[in-house]
Amino acid sequence: MKNLVSSLLRRNISALQMTGYALASLVGLAIVVTAVRFYSDVRSLWADDDSFMSRDYLIISKTVSGLGALMGANTSFSTADIAEIESQPWAGDVGGFRAADFNVYATVSMGGKGMSTALFLESIPQEFFDINPKGWSFRPGVDTTVPIVISKDYLTLYNFGFATSRGLPQISEGMIGAIPLRLSLSGNGQQRWMDAKIVGFSSRLNTIAVPEEFMEWANGIYGEPGSTTAPSRLIIKVKTPGDPAIATFLASKGYEAAGDKADNGRAAFFLRLVTGIVLAVGVVICALAFFILMLSVWLLLTKSRDKLRQLMLLGYSPQSIARCYYIIIGSINLAVLGGALAIMFIVRHCWKGSLESLGIEPGSCLSAIGAGIIIMAFITAGNFLAIRHRLRSDFFV
Amino acid sequence: MTHLSRISIHNLLPAVFLGQEEEAHIASSEVWLRESFTFERGKHYLIHAESGTGKSSLCAFIYGLRRDYHGKITMDQKDIRSFSIADWCRLREHSLAYLPQDLGLFPELTVWENLLIKNNLTGFRTTGWIESALEELEVADKRQQPAAHLSIGQQQRVAIVRALCQPFDFLLIDEPVSHLDQRNNAAVGALIAREAREQGAAIIATSVGNDINLPIDLRLQL
Repeated sequence: MKNLVSSLLRRNISALQMTGYALASLVGLAIVVTAVRFYSDVRSLWADDDSFMSRDYLIISKTVSGLGALMGANTSFSTADIAEIESQPWAGDVGGFRAADFNVYATVSMGGKGMSTALFLESIPQEFFDINPKGWSFRPGVDTTVPIVISKDYLTLYNFGFATSRGLPQISEGMIGAIPLRLSLSGNGQQRWMDAKIVGFSSRLNTIAVPEEFMEWANGIYGEPGSTTAPSRLIIKVKTPGDPAIATFLASKGYEAAGDKADNGRAAFFLRLVTGIVLAVGVVICALAFFILMLSVWLLLTKSRDKLRQLMLLGYSPQSIARCYYIIIGSINLAVLGGALAIMFIVRHCWKGSLESLGIEPGSCLSAIGAGIIIMAFITAGNFLAIRHRLRSDFFV
Repeated sequence: MTHLSRISIHNLLPAVFLGQEEEAHIASSEVWLRESFTFERGKHYLIHAESGTGKSSLCAFIYGLRRDYHGKITMDQKDIRSFSIADWCRLREHSLAYLPQDLGLFPELTVWENLLIKNNLTGFRTTGWIESALEELEVADKRQQPAAHLSIGQQQRVAIVRALCQPFDFLLIDEPVSHLDQRNNAAVGALIAREAREQGAAIIATSVGNDINLPIDLRLQL
């Protein structure tokens, strides 16, 4: 029969005020959770190494100018160059592309047709690889097959440029490992044939890569004795992707970044910025809604002051009276949370299609739901505390 | 719940009377600034006062509504200033009954709801008891009417029934019959005396002239 108390107190509650609060907080919370949801969806764009917005690695080389090339200008990076890059605030680890210091000739027989070509090989430290293919190791003297990782672009070039025009079969990533490949390594007065196998494709590395162990071993045998080649390309782990300082630095030094990563970085930067702004707007609306609720509750308690005093005079504890308000506000807030999450799911449904067509893995919805619950919990707790404080302070005149 | 047996006042003075200690209405008071006085469970007290001498304040101090006084009030030797909100709620549910001068009925609730709102808290009275008490005070026919529609005298009687809807050791009634005629006064007096006797409780009644019809053990001039 306690509901006699709550029905008594409910008479002072203005439906208009509560509706106003509920709408305001619904809009605010819906914007926040939707923005968080959107963020976690598109985050995969820059979290995923393989995606077009991956900008956490940068491959740079020195610009080759027409005249410089003819004059035999050095386009490799000296130790001082590398040290300077490493000292940049945006730069993390720097790794050099190590080129083969010997001649490589590859032959392949495919679809009854044989093909042979001169080839180049490079290696980079393992930590810069975006993929970790099976069989990516080489033990000199033990292994007779050299694992190779090539750029995805090469496969595309072959499949859609070369194969179609030459009547050769198109091949998939899975099939290519089965293609028998033989390498001829020569130099330093020695020559040998070795089996090779393409074990993976990288979208980060625009090269034909072999394990470092192989490169060290092969350079030792077939390379010119005593020659140490400086890397002509560097791979840099970038700490602050999208940082305009990167582009400025590269331009000032005459370095070139492979691909269009810098532009992608900028796109990601703006996407992040826009998401951040939307999120901030949502938070502001939420904060305003919270104040509307606070104000309404304050007004309500002031309006009901005599009743509340009378109830406490009868022996009702502030807690038991507060409970009536907790139930009302708690259920409104719960409904608002449910509504905001529903809006988030509906709105998400609209962009889901376009994300999927971009081939983007949808992110988890947990962070959005979590954000909604946390914000609502804070708003609710804030209100409960205010009500409790107000009732207790009204207990004694 | 142990019984509350003694309520004592020591050098009590409302804060608003500070600086007026020498004035006649305080100097002659048998309550204000008295070194020590104890209300005991089971006895009936009537406090006579002129309007504005602080009788409602005294009730509010004892009931824990106000704390703007000097001196000390103790309940079974415990200073009531040390009581927490929870302590007061317990006392108001089990030991202290109070009829405020302004009655404190909820005008939008019916007579019956006004009574239930107290009895639901204490669970002390049966529906039958409440009905017979209403009969006794001749307001039973009003039970489904909003309290706002009752005359002030009827409201007073409903508020008295409500004050009795709980166990108590002390019943504070602030001008309980100020709006009642002799016949109703007698009925209220009889009901209150009977219930107090059954619970072995003390009655502390105030009056500005229209005394409640009740056997009184001690009269005090405020």
